[in-house]
Amino acid sequence: MRADEVVGCHVLVIGSGGAGVRAAIEASQYGETVLISKTIVGKGGCTTMAEGGYNAVLRDVDTCGGHFEDTMKGGAFLNDPQLADILTREAPMRMGDLVKWGAVFDFTDTDEVAQRPFGGQRFPRTCYAGDRTGHEMMMTLVDRLSYVMEHAKNVTVLNEYTVIDLLKEGDVVIGALALDEKGNIVVMKADSTVLATGGGTRVYDISTNSSSGTGDGYAMGYRAGAELIDMEMVQFHPTGAIIPYDARGRLVTEAVRGEGGVLKNANGERFMKAYDPARMELSTRDVVARAIATEILKGRGTKNGGVYLDVTHLSREHIETRLPVMLEQFLKFGVDIRTTPMEVAPTAHHIMGGLRITPECRTTLHGLFACGEVSGGVHGANRLGGNALAETQVFGKRAGEAAGKAPVRKKAVDERQVDACRKRLDAFLSGSTNPAQVKRQLQLAMWEGAGIFRTSIALEETLHTIRHLQTVNLKAASARNLAECCIVQNMCLTASLICRSALLRTESRGAHVRTDVAKTHEPEHSPFGHTFVSLTRQGIETKEAKA
Amino acid sequence: MKELTVTVRRFDPDVDKEPRYVTYQVKVNNGARVLNVLHAIHDSIDPTLSYRWSCASGQCGSCAVRVNGEPVLACMEEATDNMKVEPLNLDVKKDLVTDLVPRLEQIASLVPKTEIVMPKKADIEAMKPLKDCIECLSCVSVCPAVDVTKFIGPTAMRQEMRLALDPRDSGDRISDAVRDGLFTCTTCQACWKVCPKEIQTPAKAIEKLRAHANRRGFTLPRHKEVAAMVQETGRSIPRTSESFLEKVPDVIEPDGPVKATVGLFIGCVYNLRQQQSALDAMEVLKRNGIRVIIPKEQVCCGSPLIRTGQLAYIDELKRRNIETFTSRKIDTVLTMCAGCGSTLKHDYETPFTVIDINELLTKYGIEPPAILPIKATYHDPCHLMRGQGVKVEPRQLIRQVVDLVEMPAICCGSGGGVRSGNPDEAAALGKRRGDEISKTGAEIVITSCPFCEFHIAGHTDRPVKNIMTVLLEGYREKDRKTAK
Repeated sequence: MRADEVVGCHVLVIGSGGAGVRAAIEASQYGETVLISKTIVGKGGCTTMAEGGYNAVLRDVDTCGGHFEDTMKGGAFLNDPQLADILTREAPMRMGDLVKWGAVFDFTDTDEVAQRPFGGQRFPRTCYAGDRTGHEMMMTLVDRLSYVMEHAKNVTVLNEYTVIDLLKEGDVVIGALALDEKGNIVVMKADSTVLATGGGTRVYDISTNSSSGTGDGYAMGYRAGAELIDMEMVQFHPTGAIIPYDARGRLVTEAVRGEGGVLKNANGERFMKAYDPARMELSTRDVVARAIATEILKGRGTKNGGVYLDVTHLSREHIETRLPVMLEQFLKFGVDIRTTPMEVAPTAHHIMGGLRITPECRTTLHGLFACGEVSGGVHGANRLGGNALAETQVFGKRAGEAAGKAPVRKKAVDERQVDACRKRLDAFLSGSTNPAQVKRQLQLAMWEGAGIFRTSIALEETLHTIRHLQTVNLKAASARNLAECCIVQNMCLTASLICRSALLRTESRGAHVRTDVAKTHEPEHSPFGHTFVSLTRQGIETKEAKA
Repeated sequence: MKELTVTVRRFDPDVDKEPRYVTYQVKVNNGARVLNVLHAIHDSIDPTLSYRWSCASGQCGSCAVRVNGEPVLACMEEATDNMKVEPLNLDVKKDLVTDLVPRLEQIASLVPKTEIVMPKKADIEAMKPLKDCIECLSCVSVCPAVDVTKFIGPTAMRQEMRLALDPRDSGDRISDAVRDGLFTCTTCQACWKVCPKEIQTPAKAIEKLRAHANRRGFTLPRHKEVAAMVQETGRSIPRTSESFLEKVPDVIEPDGPVKATVGLFIGCVYNLRQQQSALDAMEVLKRNGIRVIIPKEQVCCGSPLIRTGQLAYIDELKRRNIETFTSRKIDTVLTMCAGCGSTLKHDYETPFTVIDINELLTKYGIEPPAILPIKATYHDPCHLMRGQGVKVEPRQLIRQVVDLVEMPAICCGSGGGVRSGNPDEAAALGKRRGDEISKTGAEIVITSCPFCEFHIAGHTDRPVKNIMTVLLEGYREKDRKTAK
């Protein structure tokens, strides 16, 4: 292996989705910034796949207080109120940035940004660009990043570099270790490091996530000693595709229901009336996902194992202009949604938990910041549709700013850590088991034992399986495959954090349902706060004793 | 589950001198996409296979590859047995992974104005059709101009147009587009035919930018001369001898019973330069029961002006041509020039049906000609194959008269005003076409467009013949045999 390459900068941003790129744009105002991406900036991550929209209070008749209340109620009051408050207050300003930078959101006839209704919200406040909202945002952010790179010349982008661990000097994070595409180690030194690695629901067999939703940020943060909260809070999106088999889990946007789509079981009944007669299909995602899962479990599902999501009553033009991506995707798989109902079932979508952060996006580790899905606390026990895109911008900016303002420091790389990393990688080159097999076993185990309905027995079994998978000697078929081995280990670790946290929370709340625990309280009266896990401690906060 | 046999092009620059093709047997689920096949190879046969993917739902543009030669998104295209998977025709980093970043970096970004400007709904609606691009670069990988010039490529032009429409942008998009090769596009339509989002870059970006460029005085001198000639004479090329329209009667009656009556739109090149091909076509039509009405006051369709962004005189041309046929109550207009046909079909709103001669003859069927002992290859005119979707019909006709060997369908370089405006580029593309022709070992080249016919003739040592001429030769041979 050749001598390690060393890259130094003021701010290192890890991850190139909406939060990462927003953070890099902001950080560049304060000093040399490096944006490092496992993929190609603009193509990876889940922001670009986000379809439905971005929640922001833009009208006089709507209020940030209303958005805050909806967010807290939707989150079963587990949200960190301060973070939720910031989200709702700053989402409109960050939307303003996007529009200023050239975003092409849909407009109303009176030349205002258009908004559509989304689940769990009292006001239609979800801004959109057809059903390719995240793509529009990502294109705008990449465009702006290019502009900054051309004019400020203090941002460097490293595409297709995989960060495999955070670098520490004592208790302080001073950058990261990465692999280039050929498997060479690159040492990245930074005064501030921002984790913007997104989520990790690819640990489940059925997931909406892109190839990068492998939980790397949770795992790297945990290994470095950061504390994570509410990792049991995994959102199952109610509507994922189910056929063909390989397309299972593909997101069918909430905008379908926002635009008037209805859910029906195999008997043709609009079953949501039995679960949430007031809000029906536009109930919160946790409620709708459980309703669909229940219908299927009770034998009222379609023969393909889903329920119907029907827009055939809408006009063709409405479908073609508001849901063009859905139309195109389903047509590719032989279903014309203008004439035939879609078949859908829940799919693992979003991890509400993550690294514990302050309003400045500081984690519990000095020198390490986090923003976007990898952080926890904003969404509580269930995220409202449209709040994730807003979160990426609000907290991406905050993280970039705080990281940028942090002082310049002298940093000494701990050679022992680099040596340990090299040994870890060498072991993969002489390993024995194909990481793809381990990944597959993990995904099946998680879907089976840590899905929508949970029990302590199943969670313990799943944790046992994961612990076994964590001991397997993964094999890298070539140096280019080293990153894959690291990623599969990150997936196993993230999965274990989900199971451990799910065991800690002995209540049903939001997306987390423990069928082995009797209901004793409504969410707002829960005696429990966040679950927390770190290298040194784990537990659940209670109202009396906050951790 | 099902088992598929697939061939994948592998190449590791650290080890291989040349790409190699490896065949795999994989088990995949019913309905599996190309990406699932690649996953299956990677996960269970050879983990060193490199390919790029991210969203797996057609939204990120990471996974474009060629399947059986055609660019597709691996995540959306259904896998088929015996398919061949290759990287896009871009610089290959390893196996199916191509170097996208240098091309992505060429795409322009918005330069905000100092004052805050908000777009109007109308601006938003104008930009939207150009905003679906997922930057998969399939378009760049098939663009002939990118191959032989410094042209920045279709999607970068799409972005220039999108920015030109944006009131928030302060950049000079038209100058930039001209600098980056706006006039090198042959309007071959290859880019949007492979675009997974079906963004019509030639019509919605290139030609629109050229129209802006025209108003800014950037139109190439040679293109201006053509426009001046059209305005003066109604024709895009000079009259050097008796024209086709002067030579033929107003109506040509068929030999046998009338199967159909059509009005002929001849177009400038057949009228004034490739007249023999057009006269041969009349013989073929006559022999096959087609009654042809030939109005003499017809003028240039306007294609050379529309393709180069010179729109001032277009409405007048359209009006005159439409009136010419409607005044005679003609309900079907026949074109034999690929460019005119495509223009009449897409740039006009005609009260009559427009049909290409290959479509017409296959629709009504032809008398079988004698089979000539000739090995021929066929050049697909861009404005016929991609512009009008006519690909099968010419082959059905050709196979009745000669032995056909196929070659890749690539642009000859004569379209979009490139032959007149950028002759070096046209020559470079013509040479590539000539090289492909040589590889086939064919004795003659057949085509069905007067521009292609004329241009290719300068870049191959084989005779280039119009499809109608070859059919006529088949009939003459048949007659000779019968006479014996």
